[in-house]
Amino acid sequence: MLALLRKYQIPVASCACLLLSLYILTAASRGQLKSDPVGPLLLWLMRPLQVAAQAASGWVKGLHEAYWTTAGLRAENERLKKRIAQLEIERNRLLEAEATNQRLRQLLEFKASLPASGVVASIIANSASSWFQSCLINRGSADGVRKGMAVVTPLGVVGRVVDVSRRTAKVLLLTDANSGVDVFVQRSRARGIVAGSLENGTIMKYVKRSEDVQEGDRLVTSGLDGIFPKGLMVGVVTKVRKQSLGLFQSIEVAPAVRPERTEEVIVVGSELRELAG
Amino acid sequence: MKLSLLFFTVGLVLLLLQTTFLHLLPLGPVVPDLVLVLCVYWGLHHPTVGAALGSFILGYSVDVVSSPILGLNAFAMSLVFLAVYMTSRSIWLHSATVSAVVVLLASLVKGAGLMLAWVLFLDAEGLWLGALRYLVLEALLAAVLAPAVFALLRRGQVYFEGLKIAAG
Repeated sequence: MLALLRKYQIPVASCACLLLSLYILTAASRGQLKSDPVGPLLLWLMRPLQVAAQAASGWVKGLHEAYWTTAGLRAENERLKKRIAQLEIERNRLLEAEATNQRLRQLLEFKASLPASGVVASIIANSASSWFQSCLINRGSADGVRKGMAVVTPLGVVGRVVDVSRRTAKVLLLTDANSGVDVFVQRSRARGIVAGSLENGTIMKYVKRSEDVQEGDRLVTSGLDGIFPKGLMVGVVTKVRKQSLGLFQSIEVAPAVRPERTEEVIVVGSELRELAG
Repeated sequence: MKLSLLFFTVGLVLLLLQTTFLHLLPLGPVVPDLVLVLCVYWGLHHPTVGAALGSFILGYSVDVVSSPILGLNAFAMSLVFLAVYMTSRSIWLHSATVSAVVVLLASLVKGAGLMLAWVLFLDAEGLWLGALRYLVLEALLAAVLAPAVFALLRRGQVYFEGLKIAAG
């Protein structure tokens, strides 16, 4: 028996891993996975690396943009080109600092206007999978962030917190197929759910055929889901289709916030304590 | 065991790349799945119990940083490792050029595994067409990158085994 097990140890180990992952999936989908000792440890280990890598990635991005900004000046002589490149990099740095300053000021003003208290956080990593739209932020349970809290920017809804460790939190973006935000059409007050879709980008679901929805309509949070404060911008209707069959309209939405261009966010929740400083 | 640990560290670095630098590529929401390429490499060139566990833990790590539910990628990566390992026992798959095809097929296996788990444990509404697009794009991208990643991993493995022989 032992010899047989030794002979087939790799398939046996693989099958054990498959069964274990199915067990984790089942427990997690039923909400029975109370403690996950590996996840927080892994996030704790990876957090400094991700912060550093994200900073380096930002630097590379800046450099790449600076390169393209100066690409039009290639016909100029070498000395001027070098000088311009230096000035351009410096200018980009200053513009970046100014833009960051402006963004943070906007965030603070927006934070003060929210009914619930909020914590400002930076996005430190994006999704590692094409199938899921999520990101990691640099605030966790130590900062008062809890599962289910809303994540927003002055431009609108970003997503909600689905997992929290001590110093990081995972945010499921509005554009993910498993997300959902209760919304109103600002003009006609028609109600529906905005969610991501693998097929059509972001969509508005469960809107009856009889409801008045038009292209260009602005969608705002209803506040009825108990997660997002009422009146936050969610997106704009880009396409409305009424098929010959079916109870509901098919509505495509352009989200108000483009997560890939977002660097700072606010986590909103009534239980949040204010950060010192 | 030491080699498996080394490969696992490489896997974490690849995951770090997937969550940061690879998002700079102009590929929209599609991210090259280097972790998958590593799991395929394990199945072909370093099939051990450590590699089986490594595939599971790396998949779990992807879940921790990305998935809305734990276990999805752990399941898919374990499935990929097992499928590649079992296939490589019966068919000769060790040519460098074949590696791209193997990774392409493995990526499809991973996609199928993810879709299966998704249907069983998450809301399957609107899954099929979108998933199919991601599946094909991800598989092609992984297949294109596979020969280069394989060559680097092979070189690392040979170097490490050389060091072990020299020390022994």
